[in-house]
Amino acid sequence: MPNLTRREFLKASGASLFLAGLPMPGYTKDKPPGTISVIVLEGGMDGLTAVPPFGDPNLLKMRKNLVSENYLKLNSFFGLHPSFKYFAGLMAKNNAAVIHATNFPYTLRSHFEGQNLMQGAGLAPFSEKTGWLGRALDLAKTPGRAMSLDMPLILRGSNENDNFYPASILKSGDLITNLIQNISMTHEGDGAENFKKVQQKSTQSNVIVPRDPASLARYAGKVMSQEGGPLASVIKVDQFDTHANQGAEENGQHGTQLAIIDDIIAGYKDGLGDAWDQSIILTLTEFGRTVSENGTRGSDHGYGSAGLLAGGAITKSNIISQWPGLSKSEQFEQRDLMSTIDYRSVCAACIEKSLGLDHDLIAEKVFFTPKLPRLYDYIFS
Amino acid sequence: MNEQFRVAQKLGLMFRPETPLPEDIKSWAISQLNAKSPALGIKSFKSMNSDIKEWPRELQPNLKKRAEMWTVYRANRKKEREKIDGQETEAAKRANEHKNLMGQKDSLKFSHRNVYGQDQLKIRFMSFWANHFTTGNIHDNQNVIGHLIDEAILANLNSSFSEMLYKATSHPSMLIYLDNIWSSGEDSVETREQRRNGRQAGLNDNLGRELLELHSVSPSAKYTETDIRNAANVLAGWGTDLERPLNEMREVANTTDHWDLYKRTWAQPGVKRVMGKTINQGKGGLRELTDFLAMHEHTISYLSSKLAQHFVSDNPSQSDISYIKNAWKKGSGNLDQIHTAVIERAILSKEPKFQWPMTWLFQTIRLSNATFFMGWDEVFDYDDNLMNHRQTYEELGQSFWHPRQPDGYSSDKNEWLSGEMFERRIRFADAIYRAGNPQFSSSEIMDRIGANGATRDLVKRAGQYENEKFIALMCSPELMGLENA
Repeated sequence: MPNLTRREFLKASGASLFLAGLPMPGYTKDKPPGTISVIVLEGGMDGLTAVPPFGDPNLLKMRKNLVSENYLKLNSFFGLHPSFKYFAGLMAKNNAAVIHATNFPYTLRSHFEGQNLMQGAGLAPFSEKTGWLGRALDLAKTPGRAMSLDMPLILRGSNENDNFYPASILKSGDLITNLIQNISMTHEGDGAENFKKVQQKSTQSNVIVPRDPASLARYAGKVMSQEGGPLASVIKVDQFDTHANQGAEENGQHGTQLAIIDDIIAGYKDGLGDAWDQSIILTLTEFGRTVSENGTRGSDHGYGSAGLLAGGAITKSNIISQWPGLSKSEQFEQRDLMSTIDYRSVCAACIEKSLGLDHDLIAEKVFFTPKLPRLYDYIFS
Repeated sequence: MNEQFRVAQKLGLMFRPETPLPEDIKSWAISQLNAKSPALGIKSFKSMNSDIKEWPRELQPNLKKRAEMWTVYRANRKKEREKIDGQETEAAKRANEHKNLMGQKDSLKFSHRNVYGQDQLKIRFMSFWANHFTTGNIHDNQNVIGHLIDEAILANLNSSFSEMLYKATSHPSMLIYLDNIWSSGEDSVETREQRRNGRQAGLNDNLGRELLELHSVSPSAKYTETDIRNAANVLAGWGTDLERPLNEMREVANTTDHWDLYKRTWAQPGVKRVMGKTINQGKGGLRELTDFLAMHEHTISYLSSKLAQHFVSDNPSQSDISYIKNAWKKGSGNLDQIHTAVIERAILSKEPKFQWPMTWLFQTIRLSNATFFMGWDEVFDYDDNLMNHRQTYEELGQSFWHPRQPDGYSSDKNEWLSGEMFERRIRFADAIYRAGNPQFSSSEIMDRIGANGATRDLVKRAGQYENEKFIALMCSPELMGLENA
């Protein structure tokens, strides 16, 4: 009786990894031109801490305890938080970009509506049962595989999509194919579909991945670089919701989380190897945070934030921004950084570059917004 | 499945073998709401003959004791950093954690309650509300999460939603988790004094926002940022400091109760308006606010729908939801009446309800009379046969003692469907069979629950080995609560 392979895997602490877009067996023609990886930042990354616009005279007036004194200078107006040392190196090598004062068009500051929208990209919260990356992979006809315990909304979009996150359960023996087949046959609908996926996983070989986010990214990059490997991956990092004692420097609460992003990007580059040249990595967060510091040395839920892009698919580093200003009258509802760039356009450009889909198709079928502005040339040309 | 087990699967944790099956399942289910709830468990897994008994009192400390333990723990950590009193040794560090931290003990007690409790419906409602009022293990919260679950949730299951909302909102675990302990009103004495001295102080709106969004009216009520800010202003002053000496607490708040700590000098003066309701200044303002929110039309709709999706079926009908809403209104938020309505609709509905991973795990253990959790004497023991309970929850992807977001675990079936989630079911059924020494075979369990033909066929096809039959049974559509059960 053939047994499924027992795999060893350690769950990530503080981060979860998802891989997707695995070509079907025998899939060779019209291979998409690259890979796409999304770092989902839950809790609301503070764009003004991550990429401080030190050239704006209001920055220090409004948040003196939240801005690092040791920022890395990008140009005469913007800097990078000192936790982004690796990312700064990529900026210098023309392999990274920053989008500032940007967000999905959502202004109500709820984590859970915002997280649903940034992954589902519906026109209203909780209106979509599939995610933007899942829909894009479906359009690119690359049914694939996610790596996670759950199937995150961002990757839902095709019944063919699968996930992979091997268990580490003491005293559970090898999985038995015939038994799982029998179980699967007894189920209908969701049950049958998911037990069939357990069967399909029987071909996976032993994998040992350490728990830290950088190692997860390195592993993701490695499997994405392999012939027939997944074309998309998602890593989720939480704890950006720093309402109190946010900190300004590398050892502060927000600085520590930003360093995780830096480590993840470094891990991807290491794992991708030569495939780095066709890769794009982007961050995604549900909202930015208030311009002014709150009463407890933190920041509250806001609107505009910053997006970080890295990968060999970028050949000229840029800071793309229509800077709205930080004075009270320039803020959104006199409290938040205004968003002047629809971040869906950034996601659309990354899909266009990595999966080779037409912008108009992406705008209509992935984001349900036919007139979504095209930002591709700003990022990739 | 016979009616007793069908109802126990949807609303409870399955009948343990020592429990006789009730004739009248509906009366029994409703009577469960008033069942006694001692924390039952076992002393030792390793001895394999441990009787089910009540957890020792010394492992269930009150809030004052928990605060003392936390204070000692932190003092020892300071000594560890400064290398004083030998506290830096591995043995001393371990002893400090074992003696003074409560997270592992409380989490094991929760597991035991679920496996050995005779109050299975009450425990399910406890878990539902504990999830609704999520307080994850961040900001040094681990010594008080279990206290919130026992004393703000379980102890209030027979009172009103209003009471539970107030007790959960003002509990130290919630005030710590959602940052309210540092929040002071913009015009408070504290804020003015701190600012005069050049220090940052003022409002933090985190708990005010989640009180509206997650715990009561939900975004459907279309409240404004001003409402959120005013709710935060009502909450300003409510705080706790587990390490603060009692005499200082008495000085700032005229109390030595960590669950009743309202610092007047931190409060925002004046009346506040939240969603059109005027809230008076002072300590009583929070009760006025939670009473108002608890009976708000949007709270009733949102929570009736959430209860129906958790207990009645994966796709509850509008009439299921309306029935619970009506009970809420008729009983003015009385939880016994609300829960009775949930029970009635869950029994009436023949639609399946897919169970959370942790609920399925507890049900599997109870049905087979396996022993899958260490005893209370073994909380910190390593065993090469039985997984530590913390790891078990990590593998299930569900734990009340992990760091997590305040929206809690979803009752939407779609959030729990994936190949890996289903592989966990197979692996845990296998592990329970191999490590848990189940006292009942698959055929005995099927006879007892009145398994349907499809389940019996599946088990028959599973082969000659009992472990494979056991896995097949526990992963059948019938035992998982899936569509073709």
